[in-house]
Amino acid sequence: MVAAVGLVLAFVANQLSPRGLTLSRDYFRTGTHPVAKSVATVPGPNGATNAGSTNAASSPSPAASLHAKGLQTTDLATARGLFEDPRYRQSAFLFVDARNDKHYQDGHVPGAFQLDYYRPDSHLPLVIPLAQIAEKVIVYCNGGSCEDSELAALMLRDAGVPSEKLFIFVGGFSEWAGAGLPIESGLRDSGQTRTGGGKQ
Amino acid sequence: MSSKIRSVFPWLAVILRWAMGAVFIYMGFSKVLDPVGFLKLVREYNFVTNPILLNCIAATLPWFEVLCGLLLVIGVAVRGTALILVALLVPFTLLVLNRAMDIMNAQAIAFCAVKFDCGCGAGEVFICHKLLENSLLALGCAWLMTGIGWRLSLRHGVSPARETPSASRPS
Repeated sequence: MVAAVGLVLAFVANQLSPRGLTLSRDYFRTGTHPVAKSVATVPGPNGATNAGSTNAASSPSPAASLHAKGLQTTDLATARGLFEDPRYRQSAFLFVDARNDKHYQDGHVPGAFQLDYYRPDSHLPLVIPLAQIAEKVIVYCNGGSCEDSELAALMLRDAGVPSEKLFIFVGGFSEWAGAGLPIESGLRDSGQTRTGGGKQ
Repeated sequence: MSSKIRSVFPWLAVILRWAMGAVFIYMGFSKVLDPVGFLKLVREYNFVTNPILLNCIAATLPWFEVLCGLLLVIGVAVRGTALILVALLVPFTLLVLNRAMDIMNAQAIAFCAVKFDCGCGAGEVFICHKLLENSLLALGCAWLMTGIGWRLSLRHGVSPARETPSASRPS
C-alpha cells in the first residue's frame, strides 16, 4: 500500500514540478537519426580547414563517435578563430551553448545563445531562425563525455537547420575556459566578461 | 543494567528513524532539484533501454525517496516503509557495485579507489564508502522493520488492526 500510494504521489509530483521530466519524451534518441551523407570538419573563417579537427579518425574519441553519427566537429583553434572573426558580431557565426541555466549563467562563450536540450521550449524559437541564417553554427557543452551538444545539434538538424552548418566543438566550454579565452557570465550580452583560466 | 540498555533501544531506534528519514529526504531532494542530471546518471547504468521506463524511474524515484523519508520522520507506516527501502537498497547497491567493477576494470585501479557519481544524491563518492553507507542504511531499515521505532510515531502501522498496540501511547 505504501508503495502504491508512493508511486502515485511521485508521478503527480513529477507532473506538478516545473523541473519534472516529460515521461513520453525520448531524451536520448541519438541512435535513431539518419547518418548524414558527408562528414566534414569546420573550415576556419579564412576558409582553411583545420587539420587538428580530423584527428579523431585514428582513435575512438568523442569526435570519431560524432562523425559516425554524421555530425561535424571543430576544435578550439577553429572555434576561437570564428569567435574573433569580425563577422561573428554580425551573426555570420552562431555559438550555441547546450548546457543548463546554471552552467550557462556561470559562464559561456560571449554572445553564445543558450539551447538547453532538455528544456528547449524557451530557447528554440530564438535559436532556430538565427541558426538558419548563420553561415556556421558551433554547438558546445562542457566537453569530455558530455553529449548535450550532440543532442542539441541533432535537435537543430531536426528543426531544419542544414547539417552542413552544424559543428560540434568537442573540447567544449572546459577547453575554452582552460585556454584563458573570454567568458561571459549571466545572461547573453550581460557585459560581465572575464578571462577564463585553468580547467573548469 | 541490561534492562536499562533494553529501555534505551527504542529511543535509539527513534533517533535512527529520524536520521534515516532525513538522509532519504536529503538524497531524494537533491535529485528532485536536478531530474535531468539524475536521468543521465540512471541511463549510465544501462539496465533500462526503454526511454519511457527510464523516464519513469528518473521521474518517480527521487520523489518516492522523499516520501519514504517523510514517512520515517513522522512515523507513519514505518515497517512498510522500511521494508520498501530495503527492497530498493539491495538491488541498487548491486547495480552500483556492478558499475564500480566495470570502472575498476576499465581504469585498472584498486576497487576502493573507484570514485563516481552513482546517482545516489551525494555527488561523486568512493565506492567503498558508498557500499558501507548503503549496508548501514539497509541494516537500519531491517532493524526498523522489527517494529522497534514506534515511539513518537503518528501511526506506526498502516492499518489500525496491524498497528503496534502501544503505538499511540503517549511517550
